[in-house]
Amino acid sequence: MIKPKIAVHKFSSCDGCQLAFLNMGESLLALADRVEIMHFAEAGPVDENASVDIAFVEGSIATQHDLERIQKIRANSAYLISMGACATAGGIQALRNMADTQQWIAGVYAQPEYIDTLDNSEPISDHVKVDLALWGCPINSQQIITTVRDLLFRVTPKPERDKLCLECKRQQQVCVMVSRGESCMGAVTQNGCGALCPSVGRGCYACFGPAEDANCPALANRLEGLGLVDREIAQKFLFINSAAEPFQSTGNKRKQS
Amino acid sequence: MSDKSIKINVPVLARVEGEGALEFSIQDGKITHLKLRIYEPPRYFEKFLEGRSYQDLADTVARICGICPVAYQMSAVHAIESIFHTQTTPWIRALRRVFYCGEWIQSHALHIHMLAAPDFLGCQSIIELAQKEDEAVRRGLRLQALGNELITLLGGRSVHPVGAKVGGFYHAPSTRQVAKLIPQLEQGWLDSEALILWLDTLELPDDVQSFTCVAMRHPDEYPLNEGRIVSDSGLDTSIDEYLQHFKEHQAPHSTALHSLLDGEPYLLGPLARLNLNQDRLSDEVLAPLAQTQYHFPSHNMYHSIVARAVEIRFAIGEALNILRKYQPPEQPSVEVTPQAGIGFGCSEAPRGLLWHRYEVDSQGEIVNAIIVPPTSQNQARIEQNIAHSLEKYGLERSESELRFYAERVVRNYDPCISCATHFLTLTVQRSEQESISPLESKTGILLLAIGSPFGSDSVAWQVAEQLQKCSNIQIIYSNNPLAQLKPLLETSKQVVLLDALISEHPIGQLIPITLEQQPVQHPQSSHSLTTRELLALLQTLKKEDKKTYQLLGISVGNGTQPITKKQIAAAGEQLQQVLKNAKPQSIQATETTGA
Repeated sequence: MIKPKIAVHKFSSCDGCQLAFLNMGESLLALADRVEIMHFAEAGPVDENASVDIAFVEGSIATQHDLERIQKIRANSAYLISMGACATAGGIQALRNMADTQQWIAGVYAQPEYIDTLDNSEPISDHVKVDLALWGCPINSQQIITTVRDLLFRVTPKPERDKLCLECKRQQQVCVMVSRGESCMGAVTQNGCGALCPSVGRGCYACFGPAEDANCPALANRLEGLGLVDREIAQKFLFINSAAEPFQSTGNKRKQS
Repeated sequence: MSDKSIKINVPVLARVEGEGALEFSIQDGKITHLKLRIYEPPRYFEKFLEGRSYQDLADTVARICGICPVAYQMSAVHAIESIFHTQTTPWIRALRRVFYCGEWIQSHALHIHMLAAPDFLGCQSIIELAQKEDEAVRRGLRLQALGNELITLLGGRSVHPVGAKVGGFYHAPSTRQVAKLIPQLEQGWLDSEALILWLDTLELPDDVQSFTCVAMRHPDEYPLNEGRIVSDSGLDTSIDEYLQHFKEHQAPHSTALHSLLDGEPYLLGPLARLNLNQDRLSDEVLAPLAQTQYHFPSHNMYHSIVARAVEIRFAIGEALNILRKYQPPEQPSVEVTPQAGIGFGCSEAPRGLLWHRYEVDSQGEIVNAIIVPPTSQNQARIEQNIAHSLEKYGLERSESELRFYAERVVRNYDPCISCATHFLTLTVQRSEQESISPLESKTGILLLAIGSPFGSDSVAWQVAEQLQKCSNIQIIYSNNPLAQLKPLLETSKQVVLLDALISEHPIGQLIPITLEQQPVQHPQSSHSLTTRELLALLQTLKKEDKKTYQLLGISVGNGTQPITKKQIAAAGEQLQQVLKNAKPQSIQATETTGA
């Protein structure tokens, strides 16, 4: 049986999404049996230019060098998957896109002559066609396992982008916003984490990105009703996935008002 | 030595994160000019924390690192709690230790089995290793899973946990949840002994070097969240005084800031911790180690893998001790009352000391932040190590042997996988002449921008940044100009020092400063005394030299007004003009800078 070839690439990120692979434990060894891992620098195999069937990409595009690399990776992969907030939305570091860069200090990471840092931290999809986006900060091992299994069976993966609220209902988790007045982004955020934050008694902070058909203005109004001022509301939308729509425009509207 | 020049590229450094470039030249059987560059595409965490509430802090700093988010959260929340004078409860203190133990177990197990062990058994990856050492690998994965379970118990998930906050935890695990983990911990305790004994079967190279170890130290415990900072060369200081002892400076041609203790590189991490705190470990924890060939304190970096295994054992034991007596608390957190102030947090991340400093306002919003990760502090030591080890290994060996050996040395340090990206390229120049880095030419201008991350003091960095694209200007950013003395003396370029200056001149104006001038009315920038002394020193030492040393101040008015984009751009333009017109002059003519 011919094993599909896969590669795992890293751009500008914290590396947490790769851990979705490395934390699979024995399933990682089982995975290595079913597929051929051509490139996964952290785990060992190194061959960045290998031609693969599936490429998993973590991290955002943040430097000139990244721009060149991603083009090569796209050209060498039949199916490209972006994984995690950095790859799907530019990540938490996309907060710098909005900054007045003149006032930001290069000295913290002063790079006098080497890589130009691009002005923005951008998602992979801004630069190449992405076949599948796995949202999350971080994604979890279940998302990897489900995706790979679907692809091995030649099924097009179709992650649900339902709101977190549905997960709370499934778990019979009492709504923290209604019952405790917590500021919760669940109503506009994709499920995938299993409603972790409500389960520990706090409001969701939208690390899984915008759900489909998210009604952000309505939630913004509700947050206002809970006592948040515009700046705080803006920060709720402009956090882990600030560059993703409709978080970005809702957040920016509140920032200016 | 041969006088041909050989360059080697290692496309990707496997099993170490980091885009690194290693460059050195060999002269007369010795290494000269070794430079390890680790690149961090800037993510600007310290900037986008500004203006955010302390309530977002734990969630934000976790994203700095995927395998040590707990460390970042712990350093951060402790810093804020010290500013707010928040008293946590014994329950919170103990469970935070369990939380941290989970991370140590997970991170160390990952490093030992996935990153380091393959080297010592001739394998390229854990997957290959699994074929040779099935039981050891499964045990390693079990330990890693155990670590993740502990973090999940308190944090909901192991990467970017959601359970911790300033004031404690959002949620206390139930007795049942804790009870479920006990058997797994007990298995882990057995595994940790087997792991240490297994490491005794490996052949670790003998490479003893002399270096200073730095770690936290606590009166009773092996250090995690609390303690003072000590070294094996006599340092014993509170975390509040970190900046007085540890100075960062930008090494030329390196993107990371090198951290030095009293001007010397130092080591952080498990080896340093164990060397300095072995007496805080119980006999039960140390028992398996006593059966092996390994002894601590050790100054052989290859023993780091053993130190990690001992720490895994300690962490499992610590978690067992605490969780066996577990009782749910009245409240998993305490009330928090924000107040303005500055505070420090320091904890022992898996890779070493992680130091944070925050300034917050009366609402608890972050005004500014400094975060110093362990890996960047270890860089100077890594360079020192590589130079020493390669010389001992034998520089006449082939480039691929040298490359592999250098990679292995770097792996001992477990450089954090979030702190850098991509490749290690190795450039070796063997020649009888002094090697010249391709990026450094003998002509042009060396601009030393002196500043710090705070307010108007950062203006020199910002203005210098405007000139980044000028090909004949080499820019060094520094907050400690005296640390640049050596490169400033050795360079053959013209040297221009740039510093913020409190003056009555309009903001953004460039003001040449000479030693003959009368000082302006108010004391100048906090660096100016050092900067002027530096200027005087340079001019004295290099009297015969034909190049100039010039000092330019950038006016920041009275230092309290913010500087606009336009002003920075204008100053940058002005600076470019000045530098264009600057000509090498003898030191005697110091009156003007040619502006």
